[in-house]
Amino acid sequence: MTKTLDAPPAATARRRKRFNLTRWAQGGGLHAVLFAVPVVLVYVYFSWGPVIQGLILSFQKTNLVQPAEWVGWSNFTYVLADPGLVQASLNTGYFALLALVFGFPVPIILAVLINELRKYDTLYNALAYLPAIVPPVAAILLWKFFYDPDAAGMFNTALGWIGLGPFPWLNAENSAMSSIVLYATWAGAGSTAIIYIAALATVRTELYEAAEIDGAGIWRRIWHITLPQLRNVIFVMMLLQIIGTFQIFTEPYLFTGGGPNNATQTILLKIYNYAFVNGDFGAATALSVLLAAFLGLLSVAYYFVTKRWSTT
Amino acid sequence: MTKLTRRHVLAAGSSGAVVALAGTAACSDPGADSASGDLDPSADVTISVGDQPTEDKPEELAAFNKRIEEFEAENANITLEPSTEVWEAQTFQAKLAGGTLPTVMGVSLTYSYELIDNGQLPNMTPYLEELDLVKDLNPLALDNAKDENGDIYTIPTGLFSVGIAYNRRIFEQAGLDPDTPPATWDEVRSFAQTIKANVPDVTPYAQMTTNNTGGWMLTTMTYSNGGRVQNDAGTEAVMGEETIAALQLLHDMRWTDDTMGREFLFDQEAVRQAFAGGTIGMVLQAPDVYITLIRDYGFDPADVGVGALPQGGAGNNGTLTGGTLKLFDAKATPNQLLAAAKWIKFYELEKYYDEAAALADAESNAADGNPVGLPGLPPVSQEVYDQYLTWIEPHINVPLEQFASYTSSTLELIAEPPAGTQQTYAALDPVVQQILTDEGADIAQAVADANETVQGIIEQAAR
Repeated sequence: MTKTLDAPPAATARRRKRFNLTRWAQGGGLHAVLFAVPVVLVYVYFSWGPVIQGLILSFQKTNLVQPAEWVGWSNFTYVLADPGLVQASLNTGYFALLALVFGFPVPIILAVLINELRKYDTLYNALAYLPAIVPPVAAILLWKFFYDPDAAGMFNTALGWIGLGPFPWLNAENSAMSSIVLYATWAGAGSTAIIYIAALATVRTELYEAAEIDGAGIWRRIWHITLPQLRNVIFVMMLLQIIGTFQIFTEPYLFTGGGPNNATQTILLKIYNYAFVNGDFGAATALSVLLAAFLGLLSVAYYFVTKRWSTT
Repeated sequence: MTKLTRRHVLAAGSSGAVVALAGTAACSDPGADSASGDLDPSADVTISVGDQPTEDKPEELAAFNKRIEEFEAENANITLEPSTEVWEAQTFQAKLAGGTLPTVMGVSLTYSYELIDNGQLPNMTPYLEELDLVKDLNPLALDNAKDENGDIYTIPTGLFSVGIAYNRRIFEQAGLDPDTPPATWDEVRSFAQTIKANVPDVTPYAQMTTNNTGGWMLTTMTYSNGGRVQNDAGTEAVMGEETIAALQLLHDMRWTDDTMGREFLFDQEAVRQAFAGGTIGMVLQAPDVYITLIRDYGFDPADVGVGALPQGGAGNNGTLTGGTLKLFDAKATPNQLLAAAKWIKFYELEKYYDEAAALADAESNAADGNPVGLPGLPPVSQEVYDQYLTWIEPHINVPLEQFASYTSSTLELIAEPPAGTQQTYAALDPVVQQILTDEGADIAQAVADANETVQGIIEQAAR
């Protein structure tokens, strides 16, 4: 053992130069490659295959029954000229913004509060996570009842007790998107909070003890210890949330079908409609490619911006 | 015992990989389906047929399976593989593209022109001629199944035209005559006002607006006012005064009269649920609403009324038709297509010609609590249909007098817009939603914009 370690670097280099294919194969190299081949092929076929297929489709006119026909950039010009695209992009951006401003802090606050609890924290953990267990379709159907625009609707009845409403919720252009954000926050906060709680467990307790000795109250402890310690997790979660919100589909699809008057029409809903309502798979993949490119650029930009924040 | 070394494991793994790859290559389908080959009516052939009832409807399933056996006994060379595949708007395009649909199944007639234009339906003319079927089919319905050369691509069945469904109990409570549904849009408006004044907590008149039903119903209302959404050739969007009048009526009922409730995101399923809940006075529906209301939601049959589509302008303008088309697999062989057409003739049409088959069908449906004798448009000629009705008369369990206004109607039956039908409907959904959720909406501008959007759809469809 020591001998190998002590061998001069020059000797190692010489040995590497004399690469012998037979010896490599006999030494298990070939087997290793063959061993890996199926995994790589399966990965390429099932993971990268659809991505490349999608790219190809975006330049074709096809209904997948008739032979495909190359149409160049025509699908891209069609989706970019679609009068509904601007509205869908604005709606998606609006949803992402609302979700970021109102929805993003909720799980952090939830996690910090649960973390501060000395008793029954497991119970509160479970309660916070509960909405994540309800399947989205079931939860959305439930919330449709809550959002009943009638004065007898559940939310409207509750708000009526304090003299508010009745509100149209999903049935008005200006309140439909915020209603969806409210639901999405309820549905998503629990699972995100769990991640924050896990991250909080790694914050060293001495920091808090030291702060307490220095006379810091709860808010100062959160501001000066908890949040800085969570910074990296927060950045990652924010990126994931931004990407997730740009891909919002289930909620507008099930709540409003994109209405009223396209107020909740999103990019992904448009992609879905191109493909499965219109049967225009070329247009659907073209818009998907554009969305993927945009999200890719956004992720890179986000990475560099937050990297600078992290180091300063 | 030999010691298992790393090399052994790797060797075993890699040889396993090679075997697996070879196996995968051997299994891959070299493209078995082809539409080539000569027609041979006596050759052995196997086809899959959709719309088999599911296990939870034992009577229907047994009747279906019995028909399969009878068919196979009559046609020894044809083997049927039944499938419970049914048409669902949300998955249909994906399954069609994926090639997982059976050789023949029912699909909404709305897709007819689109599927013909896209080459997703095979030319069925030679097979229908071989079976001597063309002369028996309802010529009006066949118009929905032909291309510009007169070739027939599908067999339309389960036809209907849109009318107005109303809750007879609510009509009575409001002091309206439950045997007299509104015949004009003016009457719809005044009836709705009467309901609002006399029956609390119900929506006097509801309108569907989502999942393409908004456009579907706006098209129907446009027809009822004497207008069109696209020209007959499907080359131009032509919405005008008639569409504006339809939207103006909805606007006034929503914002002036407040007779449309608070929910403006209904689709077909949701509005039927609400109707079954007894909270809707009137809504545009075809008579098949009766099946859903009674069978799925346990609604009281005595409370259902269906009238002819209310008319605007000078009246007697027409109504929109729809139904089911039989989707034949474009990739099937000629022998398979002939067998599939034979099956459809046997299963869907025989009852109109054979008294025993008519009675058996009616009995099994009646036993399973399904409506028998529900008014609709026959897939066959009217004389044949009248004969059929006399056969099944003892089994009719639908209160036909509650459909009297619908069945006695002589409105012109107008086909759906031909180009990009579902896309056109989808583009019109937001227009209806806007009128119902935005009091200040500029109706003329909305219709002008909609014309522009639909024109774009027509051009993309013709690309």
